[in-house]
Amino acid sequence: MLEVDKLRAGYGAINILWDLSLTIREGQTTVIVGPNGAGKTTLLRAIMGLIKASRGDIRLNGRTTANRATWDIVHDGVIMIPEGRLVFRDMTVEDNLMMGAFPRHCRKGAKQNLAQVYDLFPRLAERRHQAAGSLSGGEAQMVAMGRGLMEEPKVVLIDEPSLGLAPVVVDEIFRIIARLKREGRTIVLVEQNTHRALAVADHVYLMRSGQVALSEPASAVNLDRLHDLYFAAEAAGA
Amino acid sequence: MRAFPIAIVAACYLVVPVVLGSNDYILSLVIAALTLAAIALSWALLGNLGGMVSFGHAAFFGVGAYTSALLAKDLGVPVFLAMLAGGAGAALASVVTMPALRLRGPYFALAILAYAQIFRILANQMTGVTGGAGGILSIPPLPTVFGFDFSSKLGAYLVILTLLVLGILAYKAIRDSYWGLALKAMHDSEDATRVIGVPSTRLKAAMLVVSAFMAGVAGAFNAHVIGFLEPDYAFAGTWSVIPVVAAIFGGYRTLSGPILGALVIYLLDQLLFKTLMPQGHQIMFGVLLGAMILFSPSGLLPLLTKPFARFKPAKRTPTPEKRHAAAA
Repeated sequence: MLEVDKLRAGYGAINILWDLSLTIREGQTTVIVGPNGAGKTTLLRAIMGLIKASRGDIRLNGRTTANRATWDIVHDGVIMIPEGRLVFRDMTVEDNLMMGAFPRHCRKGAKQNLAQVYDLFPRLAERRHQAAGSLSGGEAQMVAMGRGLMEEPKVVLIDEPSLGLAPVVVDEIFRIIARLKREGRTIVLVEQNTHRALAVADHVYLMRSGQVALSEPASAVNLDRLHDLYFAAEAAGA
Repeated sequence: MRAFPIAIVAACYLVVPVVLGSNDYILSLVIAALTLAAIALSWALLGNLGGMVSFGHAAFFGVGAYTSALLAKDLGVPVFLAMLAGGAGAALASVVTMPALRLRGPYFALAILAYAQIFRILANQMTGVTGGAGGILSIPPLPTVFGFDFSSKLGAYLVILTLLVLGILAYKAIRDSYWGLALKAMHDSEDATRVIGVPSTRLKAAMLVVSAFMAGVAGAFNAHVIGFLEPDYAFAGTWSVIPVVAAIFGGYRTLSGPILGALVIYLLDQLLFKTLMPQGHQIMFGVLLGAMILFSPSGLLPLLTKPFARFKPAKRTPTPEKRHAAAA
């Protein structure tokens, strides 16, 4: 469904991704793990068109999306739930969620989708008129996820949803991800918590220094070997 | 609550003309104050809704003034039509300034300040069209329509009041739309709005065009009221500074703040400061602004709406500067 083909991208003079290729299959949950600085977030940003590819290609259902405007990519059904609670702090929870219905094709179903999001995150329904800036980290993450679901996405990119959250909250976030998976959505999950991520994964990529170091179906992944590769990279990079 | 603003507007249309209708001096002051309020409102469209602080609204004010004056005088275009064209001219001028949209916060403000200077220089140099530094004399006044003379003080008052009301309606419509929501969200994080499908660059550009259009119409109105233009007047720094001062003085990021601020500071300046210190009375703008930031950082509005609240330090909300630093 989504193909990244020998992608090279970075920030100005600093290149991060080195001819990286991977494939996201429809209806599957693809997990991307890797140490800090491996380029996981950069990859997601490149898929979203927030940074430009200097070489290589990204294709959605065979059509190239590299160097298209971010909002056009969203329109085609790829959305990102950004890392670090990028919620709109001065706006209420409900306005934050309604922002997700900004693309024109989402507006008709907005009311219905909002009800679904509240069903998924009852806590947000309680706090709908509260400013998003006053939420806890877990609640803010829920807002970010709910906002993304308001877009009726075909592919959901989730960037480090468990970062800095209490274990109980992480449980809840992963329950939601598992539910989205059951609903048949195509999910790309970037996560440092390999253990948790593997539990929902269909396919696993390990990224290291801007390249794919390992690509395996989740059922074939040996956690010990994965960790060896993961930490070997850090040792080698240090 | 909704009845209150309607009552104010009704009073402006019905009571003010009856009470002040015969006092040309006061009316002309009110007209000038409303003109500034219209510029402040146009500024607020960009500054409050769009989150872009402009130091260059003189550019749009001046282009609007010149476009309308030249069309009406040299080509005989009907004045009200020429004023609309003035707005369109300013909107066109804003397209030229769009590269500045790539910059954020103070850098945008400085870039647009530079653009305003470029337009002033152009108006000075293009003597064939604008008459250069000599200016344009005897610009056609506002017309008489259906027997009502809009070039009278009362007529001009009704015109600028209507322009202001239309501006307020436009502001409200934008604020309450999906666009308004998206613009508000962009203050926090532009990237976060992009990944949920907001064409943020286009949105900012559109706000710049709308804002410039309104400033241009205000400039056009002013040109036909005073009947005379020269580059150093039409593109004066005052037109850029007053809206900023008015917005901060009245209440940043509110609708009524910039309007109230413009009315209060202009009338204070003309009726009080000018008589107290005929030379350099403009310095009081700075004093007022400083005092307001010290005692009520969120502007005049909270002071008025909470007259009985005891003196206490204002709630710590991020200042615009901090927001922009965070966004940059």
